[in-house]
Amino acid sequence: MAIRVSLAHRMQRHRPTRYLVSQGWTFALPGLLIILAITIFPVLYSIFVSFNHVAITSSGFKLSWVGVRNYRTIFSNSLYQYSLVFTVIYTVVTVLVELILGMGVALVLNALSRGRGFMLALLLLPWSLVTVISAEMWSYIYNGVYGVLNAILMGVGLLNHPVTWLGTPILAIISMMVADIWKTTPFVAIILLAGLQMIAGDLYEAADIDGASAGYKFWRITVPLLRPTIALSVLFRVLQAFGLFDLPFVLTGGGPGHATESLALLGYQVMFQDLNMGRGAAIAASTTLIVLLASLVVLRVFRAQVEEGAS
Amino acid sequence: MKKTVLAMVSGLAIVLAGCGQSQATAPVAKKTAGPVTIVWTASPIAGLGVRKTLISLFEKSHPNIKVKLITAPTSTNTDKAALTTQISSGSATPDVYMGDVIWPAQFAHAHLALDLSHHLPSSFWSRFAPGLVQGASYKGQVYGAPFYMDSGFLYYRKDLLAKAHLPVPKTWAQLVSDSETLQKDGLVKYGFVWQGNTYEGLTCDWMEYMTDAGGTVLNAAGTKAAIDSPASLKALTFMRSLITSHVSPAAVTTFEEPQAMAVFDAGKSAFLRNWDYAWANSNSPTDSKVVGKVGVAPLPTFSASNYPGHSTIGGWNIYVNPHSQHIPQDLTFIKWITGTQAQTVLATKFSEIPTNYAVQKNPAVRKVNPVLATVSHVRLVARPSNTPIYPKVSQAIYSNINAALNGSVSPSVALKTTQTQINQAISQNGL
Repeated sequence: MAIRVSLAHRMQRHRPTRYLVSQGWTFALPGLLIILAITIFPVLYSIFVSFNHVAITSSGFKLSWVGVRNYRTIFSNSLYQYSLVFTVIYTVVTVLVELILGMGVALVLNALSRGRGFMLALLLLPWSLVTVISAEMWSYIYNGVYGVLNAILMGVGLLNHPVTWLGTPILAIISMMVADIWKTTPFVAIILLAGLQMIAGDLYEAADIDGASAGYKFWRITVPLLRPTIALSVLFRVLQAFGLFDLPFVLTGGGPGHATESLALLGYQVMFQDLNMGRGAAIAASTTLIVLLASLVVLRVFRAQVEEGAS
Repeated sequence: MKKTVLAMVSGLAIVLAGCGQSQATAPVAKKTAGPVTIVWTASPIAGLGVRKTLISLFEKSHPNIKVKLITAPTSTNTDKAALTTQISSGSATPDVYMGDVIWPAQFAHAHLALDLSHHLPSSFWSRFAPGLVQGASYKGQVYGAPFYMDSGFLYYRKDLLAKAHLPVPKTWAQLVSDSETLQKDGLVKYGFVWQGNTYEGLTCDWMEYMTDAGGTVLNAAGTKAAIDSPASLKALTFMRSLITSHVSPAAVTTFEEPQAMAVFDAGKSAFLRNWDYAWANSNSPTDSKVVGKVGVAPLPTFSASNYPGHSTIGGWNIYVNPHSQHIPQDLTFIKWITGTQAQTVLATKFSEIPTNYAVQKNPAVRKVNPVLATVSHVRLVARPSNTPIYPKVSQAIYSNINAALNGSVSPSVALKTTQTQINQAISQNGL
């Protein structure tokens, strides 16, 4: 926000010449071309592919236009429907829990006067681990025979028999959510902490003078001023959670049954294991579309609230 | 943040550009005189150094061919995805690649493997143990040369059976009663560990029980599912009972080979269903607490008169990339690696099961370890992989069987769903 204001301010003082504008584009061009080549082109191409039947022939791919047939097939398929519902529920639950926990952590860190750097570094550990590696660790923790979780719970007398954490649908889904929340809460916390530190301290001082309670200050000062930051972290997390792939890929392989088969995993399965490129592309494209819509909704909701708060 | 992303992206672009170049230069290499280099993509084989040993022997006897080894991912599915992407986009490398025995139909259908029967005389194929060439064929053409084979075996604790004066089980019922005796006497925690996770390995285990019970996955013509049968129900009910009777730990529904192996190696299970490598693994002092206490036998079955039970065929073939620029050299490599010298090294030095029948029957090879001696007594069954939609068929099997094993659906419902999903896959109406 502050950056945008100062930029606008500067631009008013020195209106850029046509030369400067074209120079700017020239410098940006290589980067833009790369983004075009490795992000925009593949997305558009996979959308195009999703309207085709793809045959792999000896001379490469042969596409034949089938219109919306791939989409009709996937939308009417019960596996796809289940994957969609699972992915949506997974996203909503994990993002919500991460937001609540992350907020708590950020408030604590913000109130710390000493050791904040150390705590931040400690918190960043789970986030900095590659998901595949941390998922592998979780699979040892959850193991139903020699897993450490069972050992601890049985040691303190909470369990009599070992539980197969990844063996039944509900437990597997919850276990996976826990692994996700463990890893991503620090990310949310750090973004929120940055937002908290931008809130001017005199607002709280003024509130203190007026005799406001802690809860009142939180809901009337912190939350409204933090809205853009919350929107940002929710947006990042929704985008990431909806593309859920590595955790189920390592932990459960989509099982037990199909219980943890996310849309991304299903798309991978159909595309690269069944070699059904058209339907795989349709799954991928539909996922992109859904997550794009979800992001727009998130942005719209938060922007509306911010504007409402401002007026 | 943005800068690092950009830096990463441009780095990636450079790497990608590099890949493109190396592919573009491949045809040029063909024209130059001197040794030809062929690229062999192979995942790590259990015994260390197998691939390098074979390559150096091959290069010694074929000075005009160099083999460049590319290590493929250890996960078979990741390996397959990488090969599919590379070959379907027209890459000339790898020239030859190691691939699962269940790939021929799908890879033939998608033009990812060269039809070897067009390039090798029919006399070539007689060197292989019975059934293997059939398994590497699709619509009468052979697409892969069997490299080394594998099958399911029953590993048991010799010491425990001796202590309790129990015989090596020949029926599943006997295995259960042996296990229960040993568990009751406190000699061992679990009776039997195997592979029950949602993955291809469960399809392998399932094929053994189902075939023993007299069931099949598809009808004789291969046009419809036949898995929802009384025989399958008997097999699945038995598998589930292993868990409910605590002969197998509940966690077996999340086990793949390494997890089952670890429980057996820790001395916590009396019996283990696993592949060839489990012999060496359970006798390696660094991995195992049961060194010298392990025996191996063919798998049990439902009625003693039908002993031995069925063992699913596993193993690896060598395939040729249809876009390879060095097909004559590829074929030379294949002929050599399936020949007596390479296959004997594979068996005697690395205790892999040879596909070359003469080597497999060689008394010197059978003396190497009890697994190699047991192979000829094993009754093999192939997965129904002679259709390009096999991945879907297998997925229907392992996901639903797993659901029945963990108790979330009943065996009969699981089999009905499997039947429906396989039929959907056959009619191309599934995903």
